[in-house]
Amino acid sequence: MPANDTIRRSWLLVPMSKPERIAIAHQAGADVVVLDLVEFVAEADKPAAREAVVDSLTPVKAGGAEVFVQIEPDLMLADLRSAVWPGLTGIIVSRAESAEQIAQIDATISALESQRGLLPGSVEIVASLETAPGNHSGYEIATASPRIWGLTLGRADLIMDLRPEPSGEIHLMQYLMQRLVTIAAAAGKTPLGAWWRNPDRGLLATPDNTRAAAQRGRAIGFKGSFCVRDNQVGPLNQGFTPSESEVAAARSVQQAYSAATDSGAIATVTHEDRFLTPDIVRQHVGVLTLADACATRDMFKSAAVEGRPVPVP
Amino acid sequence: MPDHRQRLKRSGLTMPVVTERFINNAWHRGCDYINMDLEDSVPPNLKDVARNLIKESIRVVSKGGADAVCRINHDLMEADLNAVIWPGLMMVNYPKTEYAHEIRRMDEIITRLEAERGIRPGTIEIGANIETAVGVANSYEIVSASTRIRDFGGASGYDMSRDLGVEMFVAFDQFVYGKGEVELTARALGLTPRSTPFTPNITGSVSDPDRAFAEADAARKCGFRIGGGLHPNVVEPQNRGFMPTDEEVADAHWVLEQYRQLSHSSDTWIHTDDPSGQPPIIDRYEATRAEELLEWRALCEQRDREKNEAIARVRAAEESQ
Repeated sequence: MPANDTIRRSWLLVPMSKPERIAIAHQAGADVVVLDLVEFVAEADKPAAREAVVDSLTPVKAGGAEVFVQIEPDLMLADLRSAVWPGLTGIIVSRAESAEQIAQIDATISALESQRGLLPGSVEIVASLETAPGNHSGYEIATASPRIWGLTLGRADLIMDLRPEPSGEIHLMQYLMQRLVTIAAAAGKTPLGAWWRNPDRGLLATPDNTRAAAQRGRAIGFKGSFCVRDNQVGPLNQGFTPSESEVAAARSVQQAYSAATDSGAIATVTHEDRFLTPDIVRQHVGVLTLADACATRDMFKSAAVEGRPVPVP
Repeated sequence: MPDHRQRLKRSGLTMPVVTERFINNAWHRGCDYINMDLEDSVPPNLKDVARNLIKESIRVVSKGGADAVCRINHDLMEADLNAVIWPGLMMVNYPKTEYAHEIRRMDEIITRLEAERGIRPGTIEIGANIETAVGVANSYEIVSASTRIRDFGGASGYDMSRDLGVEMFVAFDQFVYGKGEVELTARALGLTPRSTPFTPNITGSVSDPDRAFAEADAARKCGFRIGGGLHPNVVEPQNRGFMPTDEEVADAHWVLEQYRQLSHSSDTWIHTDDPSGQPPIIDRYEATRAEELLEWRALCEQRDREKNEAIARVRAAEESQ
């Protein structure tokens, strides 16, 4: 189960140096728009990109998205000063490498929250473990600040130079993904990512491959993932939402179990040749809860797009 | 990213130092290194004899340009080191490494012997071989224990399969977790990871050149640079398999050309539709891989030249006698 029931399936990265991309980012249907100051901004464009953040926070939310800003530790102070303004949901720390680094970022955010009238502790952090030291210190990073909401491997395949194996899997990624999912569960945080395979360079894959990577990713525990192209947003939303057949199956399990245990005489039953215990049933109920939460999130975004009053979740 | 200042280790033969025929023929096999074994391939009653052969064998195995390496015994470390640390030795392999204190002790002894025997300080590498569950659990401390460890990996192979009680030759990767742990350790501490992508192997053949080539080829494409084996048949396929092809060199130049154009724009990547199998995305990561490939190819060529010249020199000297 997610550490937090906030639905954040699709994270659309938009370079802060591209005003034309920022202007249409709200139309893509993403659960989260990520204003990038790191990966997709050329070095020379970074100062201007930072200055543009404050005026972009509100417009990119017009489609009901939340907004995060991606920063890098080496330029932490300048990046955070440009990003922590009212309206910001959180920060993605690219190349996160240590608990000390997260503590520094936490302290800087706290100071800015206080100066700029944000609720103390309201700005969340997603730590992107993209380097080997970062992955090695994953648990310490995950538990370094109460602001940490989620963990991701970001562009670890590229930054750590992990290349395709003959099987099509990216070398070491299965180990790193399982490690991340385990650390996240142990720390009570949300794991983000998708299970990409060669030849996809994750963030730039085709819509079909993005959907498949999201479905595989959800199967191993991820709750949402990142993309760069607008046409990947729908596939991520779909891939991280339980399908109709999954919902129907979960409902059938729940009903069968309730009916069989109604008498209070037994707690384990067999349904369609599968064994059911209270915990197994709870997992199926979790699918229903997730499907409902996804539907609510989608309703919220539709209302925002159409300018209707937004239903209160 | 491999550290190219290190010695190349694409191919290497491990052989019992007591088998004179193997030792005397090793120099012209074309290996990057020869691993003279004192451990599993030497029976207990010959350990002492074997130790006393190393000093001379270093000269014999390396006369064709290969680097001399020695695998010592885990339980006889001090006596073995005393017998093997001589000028010309590149590396000591330490099997079944389990604790950082073992490596610290080795480092101390090697440091003393280097000083006593006129070897430049810090020359001799330690190969800390991880072959047990305890070694996997302590890998970070083990690697942190000495700067003589320059590449690191393991957690697979015969000893590991015995230690864990798992099958050795199967069609799936039975060592995912341990291999992942030691590779992450190597990378986190900035060492060259000694690893290979998984390829199913149910035969266990030690001499199949096609398999050796396929494995080296896959390893190279995955970014790995270190090989080794037991049979002369696998040496040439490994040298070839680890060498980037002419086509890959041409591709790398093309990628760098595209990237140079990109660097004058405000974009950080471009999508290409080149039909010749080029990577469809060009960005700084692809450019770095292309640069690394060109550098690696040059190093492979240089190393092959060195070895060919050394072998030719020995042959010429033999003929003139």
